[in-house]
Amino acid sequence: MTLVRVNGVALHVAELPPAGGNGPEPATVVLVHGMAGDNMASWYLTMAHPLAENGMRVLLHDLRGHGRSERPARGYALDDFVDDLEGLLVHWGVAGRVHLFGNSFGATVAFAYALRHPDRVAGIVAIDSAPPIPEWFARMKTRLSQAGAGPGPAGRSPAFTRRLRAVQLLLSETSIAAELPASRLPGPAEFAALSCPVLCLYGRDSRVRELAGRTEGLLPQTRSIVLDGAGHSVLIERSAEVRGHVTAWLRDTAPFVTTGSEGERHG
Amino acid sequence: MPADKTAIRADIEAMLRAVLGDFGTDLPIELDSTFREDLGMESLDVVSLAGRLQSRYGDSVNFAQFVAGLDVSSMAELEVGDLVDFVTRSLDVVPAVS
Repeated sequence: MTLVRVNGVALHVAELPPAGGNGPEPATVVLVHGMAGDNMASWYLTMAHPLAENGMRVLLHDLRGHGRSERPARGYALDDFVDDLEGLLVHWGVAGRVHLFGNSFGATVAFAYALRHPDRVAGIVAIDSAPPIPEWFARMKTRLSQAGAGPGPAGRSPAFTRRLRAVQLLLSETSIAAELPASRLPGPAEFAALSCPVLCLYGRDSRVRELAGRTEGLLPQTRSIVLDGAGHSVLIERSAEVRGHVTAWLRDTAPFVTTGSEGERHG
Repeated sequence: MPADKTAIRADIEAMLRAVLGDFGTDLPIELDSTFREDLGMESLDVVSLAGRLQSRYGDSVNFAQFVAGLDVSSMAELEVGDLVDFVTRSLDVVPAVS
């Protein structure tokens, strides 16, 4: 297990090299997991290896307070998660543009990073998520106030019990429930400056889908796809379909990425 | 030369004990032990195991191929013997490079 200290917090990271070896400048993707209950495994066990086999350098981390990363008592505003991502990109030595794929809140971190550094991002995939907008943060505030108060572990699997315990520790021993909803959110000018391709996947039965119109209004380049018969956990429950849509989108948007990274080279 | 299944089983048992930490010290690890129920592994333990397989066997053991096509429930039913068989087969088919 590899831990990297970034912004004073030890973060659990993993890396899969591209199949065929690191070229001079392989396409790079960072996979960002969701809030509470989630960790890098949801990406690692679904998309990470297929992306590496498609020739991408694949980078993962557990967000602060999650998985095997350290759980500091404070520092859970949106910008703290973005700062961690920025620190890790420096650690990994990623130059040029990077793809950011996020599951749920992980995609919100991806959007927030891209809004701060529009010239560093090649494209964003958001799995049942939304960019940092007030409506989405209001929902997360409600979710954070209810999380961990669900049905007890009686009759549930040991894995479920451990996961619930992780959520309860995050909520009881950190200030995430207060800090995250109070995060600074980007303004319209920042959204207007973000032109990279965006793919949003939603479960038909997920309420997050209600925010799709807002996302498309702020980022008109967005391609939105709704998976029928799926809820919020599309990445886990519909991995094969997600892989198919992401692969097609990567192929369709490749010209943008090439132009974008070449535009950054200054000899 | 065919891969030595006994050695591979010992390798994998050592990896599993390392992944499980203190919890795994006294735990019996048999070929028919299931990862989820018997060994109590959670998804991050599987990630850790995958990293160890990669370090030990390199690209000749394709973990992605092992988990490909498994949904969440069949992943839970996987047994240690399934992994031992997979690694043995993988090492058998790798041709001598030099």
